[in-house]
Amino acid sequence: MAPRTGKTVALKPLPLTRLEKSERRLGLLMILPAFLLLFAVVLFPIGRLLVTSTQQLRLTEPWLGTPFIGLAHYQKALADPRFWETTLNTFIYIAVTVPGAIVVGLGLALLANQPFRVKWPVRLGLLLPWALPLVFAGLIFRWFFEFNQGIVNNILMWVGLPKLAWLTDPFLATVAICIAIIWKTSSFVALILLAGLQTIPKSLYEAAEIDGASKWQQFIEITLPMLRPAIIVAAIFRTITAIQTFDIPYAMTNGGPGNSTETLAMYIHKTTIDFLDLGYGSALAVLMFVVSLAMTAGYLRYTRRDPRQEA
Amino acid sequence: MAGVEIRRVVKQYGRVEVLHGVDLSVRDGEFTVLVGPSGCGKSTLLRMIAGLEGITGGEIAIDGTVVNDMPPRERDIAMVFQDYALYPHKSVYDNMGFGLRMRGAAKSEIETLVHEAADILQIRHLLQRRPGQLSGGQRQRVAMGRAIVRRPKVFLFDEPLSNLDAQLRAEMRVEIKKLHQRFGTTIVYVTHDQIEAMTLADRIAIMKDGYLQQYGSPDEVYNRPANRFVASFIGAPPMNMTPASVSADARMIRLPSGMDVTPRGANLSACAGRDIVIGLRPEHVSLGDDPARTPVAGKVELVEPLGSETQATVRVGDARFTGRFSPEAGLKHGQDVTLGLALDRAHFFDAETGEAIRLAA
Repeated sequence: MAPRTGKTVALKPLPLTRLEKSERRLGLLMILPAFLLLFAVVLFPIGRLLVTSTQQLRLTEPWLGTPFIGLAHYQKALADPRFWETTLNTFIYIAVTVPGAIVVGLGLALLANQPFRVKWPVRLGLLLPWALPLVFAGLIFRWFFEFNQGIVNNILMWVGLPKLAWLTDPFLATVAICIAIIWKTSSFVALILLAGLQTIPKSLYEAAEIDGASKWQQFIEITLPMLRPAIIVAAIFRTITAIQTFDIPYAMTNGGPGNSTETLAMYIHKTTIDFLDLGYGSALAVLMFVVSLAMTAGYLRYTRRDPRQEA
Repeated sequence: MAGVEIRRVVKQYGRVEVLHGVDLSVRDGEFTVLVGPSGCGKSTLLRMIAGLEGITGGEIAIDGTVVNDMPPRERDIAMVFQDYALYPHKSVYDNMGFGLRMRGAAKSEIETLVHEAADILQIRHLLQRRPGQLSGGQRQRVAMGRAIVRRPKVFLFDEPLSNLDAQLRAEMRVEIKKLHQRFGTTIVYVTHDQIEAMTLADRIAIMKDGYLQQYGSPDEVYNRPANRFVASFIGAPPMNMTPASVSADARMIRLPSGMDVTPRGANLSACAGRDIVIGLRPEHVSLGDDPARTPVAGKVELVEPLGSETQATVRVGDARFTGRFSPEAGLKHGQDVTLGLALDRAHFFDAETGEAIRLAA
């Protein structure tokens, strides 16, 4: 980064020439299709969501119409214990699976970065969980944690431990879901971190080796700080998807027992699709959107302090 | 301080052997430069001294201790890398103090030593900056600072100046030479630049294809090259090489185009009846007929004025001779000239083996 010198002087903009005007018009014309597409699939739905969240819109009672009810849905949400419970569950998943996936992903990335003679089995092993659809992963793990035939309980019995009610005990169900999510998502984290690892020049490790750093010290002093930008990117992506956690708990427990493993996204889904209360569901979705916006903004602020500069 | 002994060192990557039994003895406090074209194995040899590459055969000893199985950190060496290998996320101060910190030095000691080294290299004002905020020359200084701060037994330099522009390179060359004079530490320095080798080294080891070609002082390798490769590698512009055959009575030399010349001032009896290659440095080619020199007639093919001197290539039959002439000579392209070849200063090599033929005095 070049040191900033001097101050920017505000110059009066010159009037545009004819050529510049026509270039500008052409430019706007060229971005129009992209803008229209973005408007149709992003801006319009968000606007629609905001409007719907202020309306009474229950498909089970169509005769009530869609009257404007202001922030009533939001007030309802803040007083709704199930909203708070599912929000808390979502935060538990975020708090456990984001760091979990980063730790496991870092381990996988370090493993894949080793000079293996044959690289493809390692790379394939990395990609496979990532390529698998979320619901499949959920189903696979439901079978793993199944009480009577599940492989996990089989192993527990084999080593002489009692079987556990993985999917019917609220705490164990959360643990099982977290394990499944970490398994599913750490390969994506590993891919990002592997790309980051491969940009660290080998000579830094050689210099550190000569400087007397042990392997562990090299990891702490070089790998981790050099990897920080990649870790932050992975954490952002992972957090955004963790806020939206749906498929795996849906496939493994469908939110049960009770609502103990239900996430906010599942609650929104149930409200809109099962109970057909589109107005309330929209208000919940807006709240989730605000939370995810706030969290990513926090991360992005942190990334601005990029420690990494070219040597 | 310590010497470095390299005994019959072999390096193989899989089935490919890149060093074929190199012997080299660097004396305590000596500045040795390993030089050669790319792929000659000089960097590999340096990295083996550092412990960054394993040793396939033979042994390397530092300060009398065989270090073959010793990890780099125990060898008490410091290395300056071609790309500097500064830690980009650490300040200059932390870069320089890193080795001391890893070895468990006290904070106050690190501070003293880093400041001392920074003063020597005049980079004290940069200590709080990150490498990314430094120019190439400043990074180079930091890399050297990181090396000297620990006062190791041996300094290893791996083409440290190759990323700098010509002017900075000349400056840093002086700086490195001063450092060596100040500390007197043993240095092994790798470069492909023969000027760096000549100006810095106490002794130069010239390598080619994994073999050591010659190991000697700059004067020795310049004036008494062991073979044709050394002769043409050292010196700029390079030595003129002309194949020739010597008559059986050693009184006549036949140049490529069948031109016969009578040598003056050199007793070629050692070459009698042999096919040879004559090596003549550009400074031993003069203009005009000189009774002490062997005259040949030719045509100027290329003129390169350098200000202080003019280098010109003259075509003599099928042979070409480059010489360094006074700009006042006013050489022109296509001009007919007579060259005086100082054969008494020439080098003669066997046409087949390339080995130097020593003439009888």
